[in-house]
Amino acid sequence: MSAAEATVVALVGRPNAGKSSLYNLLTGGHARVGNFPGITVDVLEAEVSLGTGERLRFVDLPGVYTLEGQPDPESDEGHARRYLERLEAEKTPHLVAQVLDATHLALGLTLTLELRRRGVPLAVVVTQHDVLEKQGSTVDAAALSAALGVPVLTTSARKKGVAPQVLQFLGDAVREAKVPPSDPLDAEAVAKEVLRPGADAAEAQARVRRRTERLDALLLHPVLGPFLFLSVMVLLFASVYLVAEPVTWAIDAVNGALGARIEAALGRGLVTSLLVDGVLGGAGTVLTFLPQIVVLTLVMELIEASGYLARGSFLVDRLLHVAGLGGRSFVPLLTAHACAVPAITSARIIRDPGQRLRTILVLPLMTCSARIPTYGLLIAAFFSQQSALVRGALFVALYCAGVASGLVASLVLGRTVKRTAAALPLVLELPPYRRPQARVMARLGWRAATRFVKDVGSVILVAAVILWALLTVPGPGHAKVVADAPPGTSERVVAMQDSVAAFVGRALEPVTKPAGFDWRINIGLIGSFGARELMVGTLGVIFGIEGDDEDPTPLAEKLREAKTPAGTRAYGVPTALALMAFFVIACQCMSTVAAVRRETKSWKWAGFLVAYTYGAAYVLAVLVYQGASRLVG
Amino acid sequence: MSRAPVLSLAALPMGRSARITALALPEREASWLRAVGLGEGVELTLLRGAPFGGPLHLRTSGGAELAVDRALAGHVEVEEGGPA
Repeated sequence: MSAAEATVVALVGRPNAGKSSLYNLLTGGHARVGNFPGITVDVLEAEVSLGTGERLRFVDLPGVYTLEGQPDPESDEGHARRYLERLEAEKTPHLVAQVLDATHLALGLTLTLELRRRGVPLAVVVTQHDVLEKQGSTVDAAALSAALGVPVLTTSARKKGVAPQVLQFLGDAVREAKVPPSDPLDAEAVAKEVLRPGADAAEAQARVRRRTERLDALLLHPVLGPFLFLSVMVLLFASVYLVAEPVTWAIDAVNGALGARIEAALGRGLVTSLLVDGVLGGAGTVLTFLPQIVVLTLVMELIEASGYLARGSFLVDRLLHVAGLGGRSFVPLLTAHACAVPAITSARIIRDPGQRLRTILVLPLMTCSARIPTYGLLIAAFFSQQSALVRGALFVALYCAGVASGLVASLVLGRTVKRTAAALPLVLELPPYRRPQARVMARLGWRAATRFVKDVGSVILVAAVILWALLTVPGPGHAKVVADAPPGTSERVVAMQDSVAAFVGRALEPVTKPAGFDWRINIGLIGSFGARELMVGTLGVIFGIEGDDEDPTPLAEKLREAKTPAGTRAYGVPTALALMAFFVIACQCMSTVAAVRRETKSWKWAGFLVAYTYGAAYVLAVLVYQGASRLVG
Repeated sequence: MSRAPVLSLAALPMGRSARITALALPEREASWLRAVGLGEGVELTLLRGAPFGGPLHLRTSGGAELAVDRALAGHVEVEEGGPA
């Protein structure tokens, strides 16, 4: 630590005021998520050195409309206020820098007046001045500064090369640390006093308005609008889906090659198995998600920064209200049909904290691509004699079951998951259309990738190693470790049959019998606890088939022909349906659990997710098995 | 001149302008609405309603465009000012 502590510069502003753009401009996008007690939303912070040797610690607080009244403690307003109150209580040297949108001066000034009343050192940065200039007007910074008794700078965060000027301005303001007077002012009057409309301001403003109206007429058209939005969303969904496939393929190829090398160097044994199946497998899982996260972050930024996301949410808001969710839940819900992990990250766009939590908790119920192999296997095994139409309908029914279960869960959670206060009044800003900046997008993509590897990746890796141990280490009474047996051989099967997982699987049989699951399916469920796509592979090992996920036919036959110790058929249609029901609901995905922990900043909700989905999945599987058994005979 | 009956924002015809006269809401929500920019005295134009009975799209005289939930709009009292 150098002699002087860095002074905190807290960036405060209304949503869409350009706060984050300014933050990125000043800090060069370097950011870490600050760890502030009691604050469960991401607050970015970064230190910047001034030429004079002083250091400023910029903190990007959530956007707020007001800092007075009684905000919901979990809302953005609540978090921002708690942060400021802590600064004040701990007497941390700080400056509040309000970011004020030049194009909505009077609205922003009401917040400025609130900050003046707080009696904190204050400076005002008027951004988006270039947009205002395009509308033919300017803000008189000197006049505004005189009216407020606060240092004021006008700038445009989107222009290159303005950072040093803003830094110098804030550095001066920090040194001055002037607490503004708190005499009552009228925001409208001040705005009128300092706005200098040009000769053609009215005409320029009308031009901008006409452009917005033309775009809105198309994009918010009562029929075309929802159709267009849906198309864009399907494209977004497809891009996440499409990018996942080649990446998974490439990672498998690299993993296979690396695994072979490790085996060549170390020989077969427990260590090799740990490295190849545990560590490499876990790392592969992490890397598989990475491109999806990056693609989704980029596309989301594209549609959000352009102003389209707010409009799309406007169009579909009503439909989601039925399930107790809002328009902004739409994007995450759709994305979750590819993969819940990026979808959970994207739930950040939901402003209402209760709605956001509910959305996060139902996202894992959507039919993600990892469920498909198991569905495919079960349909091939037990419905192959049915027509393609029936099998297709079954697939569609499984998708619908995902959506329906999400709806039910959201309604139930809405009634049971307690909210400390009422939800926000339902007002959404429709920001002007803007061109997204490539620079900002690249930065966001990079940040999303590094944070995912750090926060979620570590959890996935640990869980993968634990699962490896369960499936490999012999259970009580089986001293011999046979992990060096080549995959697919009978010794390998014996190994898994004697593993801790098998021991647990047998012990669970009395519990899972009402759902039609025997100990072999239980091992499969334990093996797929971390990642449901491992179900087919685990069953393949149990039944002595070296898994080829693409063609499950031999495994399907084995499943169909599997016998109980008494010699009767082990599984039938009721078991298949019960297993499908289980897969619809259960959150068999440690990556999802890790993502939920990261986004809610608590293990509590992650644990709740696992408990409620497994509980409901079990109950549903029992109901389906018992019902189907009676119907089938 | 006779006093017109109270008109809510939800009942305002599309494309018409109006001025907010009162917020029939608990103080907490009312003050939040004022902060967002929908306080008493604000003039606005109703642009459109979202499909399926969704939110209302309006523009304030200050140029801000907002989507307001229809149920909430039912608690915003306005005085019609004629076509935009």
